[in-house]
Amino acid sequence: MTSPPPAADRPRVVVTGIGVKTPAGNTLDEVVAAVMSAESTAAALVDELVDRQAPVRFACRVPDFDLEPYLTRRELRQVDRPTTLALCAAVDAVRDAGLPPIPPDRVGVHLGTGIGGLPSMEATALDHGADPMGMPVHTVPRTMANSAAARIAMRHGFLGSCLTHTTACASGTNAIGEALRRIQHGELDAAVTGGFDAAITTIMLSGFARMRALSLRNDDPGRASRPFDADRDGFVMGEGAALLVLERRDAALARGARIHGEVAGYATNSDAFHIAAPHPEGAAAAACMARAIADAGLRPAAIGQVNAHGTATRLNDRAEATALHRCFAGQAPPVTSIKGVTGHLIGGSGALEAAVALVCAGRRTVPPVANLTTCAEADRIDVVAGAPRQVALAPVLSNSFGFGGQNACLVLTPGN
Amino acid sequence: MTDPAAPQAPATGPALADIVRATIADVLGTTPDDISDSTDLEADHGVDSLELMAIGAQLERALGVQISPEDLMRAENVGHAIALLTERKAAR
Repeated sequence: MTSPPPAADRPRVVVTGIGVKTPAGNTLDEVVAAVMSAESTAAALVDELVDRQAPVRFACRVPDFDLEPYLTRRELRQVDRPTTLALCAAVDAVRDAGLPPIPPDRVGVHLGTGIGGLPSMEATALDHGADPMGMPVHTVPRTMANSAAARIAMRHGFLGSCLTHTTACASGTNAIGEALRRIQHGELDAAVTGGFDAAITTIMLSGFARMRALSLRNDDPGRASRPFDADRDGFVMGEGAALLVLERRDAALARGARIHGEVAGYATNSDAFHIAAPHPEGAAAAACMARAIADAGLRPAAIGQVNAHGTATRLNDRAEATALHRCFAGQAPPVTSIKGVTGHLIGGSGALEAAVALVCAGRRTVPPVANLTTCAEADRIDVVAGAPRQVALAPVLSNSFGFGGQNACLVLTPGN
Repeated sequence: MTDPAAPQAPATGPALADIVRATIADVLGTTPDDISDSTDLEADHGVDSLELMAIGAQLERALGVQISPEDLMRAENVGHAIALLTERKAAR
């Protein structure tokens, strides 16, 4: 394994736009406020799931919002919910960035999704399984995993690389990291990047429930998502999209753009161990964290807080705590997970968490983990519970670990 | 469609024209009064081939006649398409 090129030799990359459509709000400010309050958004029973007697009948849904400013009726006929959420978040992010005219071939789209169009293919199979000739003509363009990225490129006329990265729950983090590399390598000047998923359907939820990945607290959804808690019993399915505009720092500074912060470091690797379970020793995950920190030109002691993947599955949180303990040699900074509030947005989670972590780091605050009463990993890491904690102004490490053992870490630095 | 028991039966003349306009409006995300006999789907609405196929598929089901996308592409405007479909319907 070669070490990454020194940070000084490549352009620095900043976040100039953020757009979110999530269970905890449809603006970044709403999401950060919800995260700081540590109140779970998992409340509603989903009628369809009750009707079909699904093993898990609750989730964190994106509240309804007006689609009219984003999509024409004609477009809405041709896109599914995951793509709709991604497209709306992208429009918000691009508007937030206020990008100047850039040669369109210098702007790329790098998205991440774990599940993509499978939920709409599920609906098509259920509706038309016995009547394939009755399938809508747009079924394939609606359900293909790269549909959202293509729609965003079409909408804005971006002609650069247009890729969809899929590493399960790490997809959004990988997408941002890969977009970062394109800009660092000089192939792009800007990118719209992030992740999305919307898979609150009978088959998708039941699939995760059948492998015992989901919390079964049907009678108490608000307490179901409890990262790092001793009583945790699995993750809570969320949905949503978080999109960021990344830009060369020199260009952003020159045009006087409002800068949310810097994407300073990235690393990705694989456990090469099990198709769903993390390696219990967390060696690869720890190496991924360490490489992301080194990629930012930092030492572990410079990290002020950690946004953990923290799904609230027994295995993830235990292995992640071990990996953090290992990466930081027993001196890990305060750790949080926002999934207690938002649920798990799958492909959207890493991008949403990168955006929220950047804001929290800028506010010198670590948000508390919702529903964390007794930390089962307190011997290895310091997980923030109860109330937000003040820390020094410092970069934040954001972790994502996908089924398949695919690890991705970002280091984000607040300020210009 | 006035008779729910046999929805395809009365689709001739004005009824057929209404179904065609409603179907086109649905696929293009507009309203039926936006679609007249002189509407040119390509020039006026930038219809693409997938949308044309979607219109054809929905009309096949609603009218119980066979329509190929080529038929619809050959029609100069919506009025021509309605005439063609009326002819097909009568020939059945």
